[in-house]
Amino acid sequence: MPLDPIFSDAIIFASLLALLSIGLTLTYLTTRVPNFAHASFATIGVYIALVTTRIWDSTPYIAIPIAFVISGIVAVALYTFILKPLIRKGASQAIQMVATLAFDLIVIALLNIFADYIVKTYQVTSREFTLRSYDVEFMGLPLIVFAAPITIAILAITLHIVLRKTKFGIAMRAATENSDLSGIVGINVKLIFGVAWLLGGGIAGIAGALMSLWFQGDPSLGPQLIPSIFAASIVGGFFSIYGAIAGGLLVGLTEVLGTRFLAGEFGSWLIAYRPLIPLVFIVVTLLLAPRGLAGINWSRLRRHGSRK
Amino acid sequence: MVLENEIVFIVDLLAIFAIYLIVNLSLNMEFGYAGIPNFGKVLAVGAGAFVAASIPGRIFANIAGIEGDYIENNLAIVSEINVWLVDNIGIGFVVFFLTLGIAAVVGGGLGLLTSFPAIRLRGDYLAISLLAFGESIRIIGNNFTPLVGGTLGVQVPDPLSFLPGELRFPIATVGLILIAIVVYVFCEKMIRSPLGRMLRAVRDNEVAAESLGKNTTQIRIKIIMVSAALAAIAGALYAFYVGGTIAIAYDRASWTFWPFLMILIGGLANNKGVIIGTLLFVTLRKFIIFFKDSFQEYVPFDVVWLDFLLLGIILLAVLLYRPRGIFVEKPTPTIDVNGKSTGLKKIFNFFFK
Repeated sequence: MPLDPIFSDAIIFASLLALLSIGLTLTYLTTRVPNFAHASFATIGVYIALVTTRIWDSTPYIAIPIAFVISGIVAVALYTFILKPLIRKGASQAIQMVATLAFDLIVIALLNIFADYIVKTYQVTSREFTLRSYDVEFMGLPLIVFAAPITIAILAITLHIVLRKTKFGIAMRAATENSDLSGIVGINVKLIFGVAWLLGGGIAGIAGALMSLWFQGDPSLGPQLIPSIFAASIVGGFFSIYGAIAGGLLVGLTEVLGTRFLAGEFGSWLIAYRPLIPLVFIVVTLLLAPRGLAGINWSRLRRHGSRK
Repeated sequence: MVLENEIVFIVDLLAIFAIYLIVNLSLNMEFGYAGIPNFGKVLAVGAGAFVAASIPGRIFANIAGIEGDYIENNLAIVSEINVWLVDNIGIGFVVFFLTLGIAAVVGGGLGLLTSFPAIRLRGDYLAISLLAFGESIRIIGNNFTPLVGGTLGVQVPDPLSFLPGELRFPIATVGLILIAIVVYVFCEKMIRSPLGRMLRAVRDNEVAAESLGKNTTQIRIKIIMVSAALAAIAGALYAFYVGGTIAIAYDRASWTFWPFLMILIGGLANNKGVIIGTLLFVTLRKFIIFFKDSFQEYVPFDVVWLDFLLLGIILLAVLLYRPRGIFVEKPTPTIDVNGKSTGLKKIFNFFFK
């Protein structure tokens, strides 16, 4: 089946953006602080995939659960050791944002140190590497083209069931909606927020592990992705998981296919300006519908989340 | 006369200090006094540097009648301009200050443009959109060649080229420090004016300020514009000082993250704290760079990352254990209306009171 690689590119990028946006939204719902280190959680996943493939000589797919656990733990560390004390001390939201930026810097530095270490110890390329050739072929296409959307579907259904049907999920929704009140009725808010951060970071780790199979991995991947992830979350409305998925798919598809279309119309010099597309999304969304997709289309379906 | 290594070290340190001081004072005005988390500071600084890289050179080339494509033959044209500037000191300075003015206007305009979509929303939306805008400056600079030569960068003409080689940097540094002092005085005056009081009122309780008839959106836009204009001047000065601009140098770490680190170490909403924080940080950074090579053999990775790690940890520690910085924000005395204090005393009060 001949398929223009641009479509694989679009499908994978959009799926990964949706995954990252889900994670960001989950963490944002709990502490109401946009986590600027979120993209670097994905970079951790990329490096775990590198280790499983090139050093352990295994398949990159093994990295998915490991990345979930490690990125999740890093996210919980950010929440427990930095954001929680800051919130307790009454730091403003802006200070918390600066703290996530600082944490991002530390993670990027550690990733760079790790990358240098891998090169020196195992003689494995650890910058601007790709694991594309290690992917399995399925129906004439790399497996990742199917794996990425399927992962979103599985995660979305699981999250939906957990949040709607289980006692824990209902407690989580209550805690994000009004943490003081849910504390009074006996919900362990701190634990629930911790789990939300674990899930958020973990999902970003999964996205990173998948990303390594198609895109170039580099310690600076995080800063490059951040505008796209935030654009996806803002388009999605920042308060709704479904909005995050829709926003991620929309921004991701537009970024890849839109650039291709415009480059075809106006010339290939436009390709370099692709990173400006998320910016356009942010501006248009904030001007026209500041509450994002979730604020327009899904207002009746969305019972959890929005405070307004 | 050949300058000693130590003097070169100190001269460079002071110049970078002066430039960062301007950026940090402008950020402190925004973040410290007005509570606007501008994570896109790099945008204004970069814009200023890009103005300095693209405009004065073309003006000089026009006046001096130097032919050729400014970007393509940049090296040759700029060296010709520098030779020409030796005999045209006056024009050099006029264009230099004109460039600073243009940089301020462009910076202020960009501030207005970038704050517009999100200024009415909550702070985090503003922070995110400013951050995204800040990322864009590098992308545009890197790809739009006529601006700053894309990935190759361009040279910036040197209005001080009439000075002998070893005197150029010390005198440039003195000039930078003078400009930084002017900016400091401007910021202090502004903070002590009724406008500054209103800023703090908006930061501390927006609803209360609004209920007293203050237009909080307008004041926030205004302060973003002023602060962006100052940062753009700093960017232009930096470009003139180092004598070149390359888009890749305007990244988030150097011109957004470090300024936040410096003002948080020194003390938010305290301009004296900003001076101390900037001096501490710039000195630390300079020493790290200076001693980097001697560390290199002991660690199996590039020492640059140790530097990042250290600074990130310092910032987190400051946030957690000394959230108000070295100098805590004090009640700001307004300008003395009686005006009885004499000249010297005034200056003393200004800096130490």
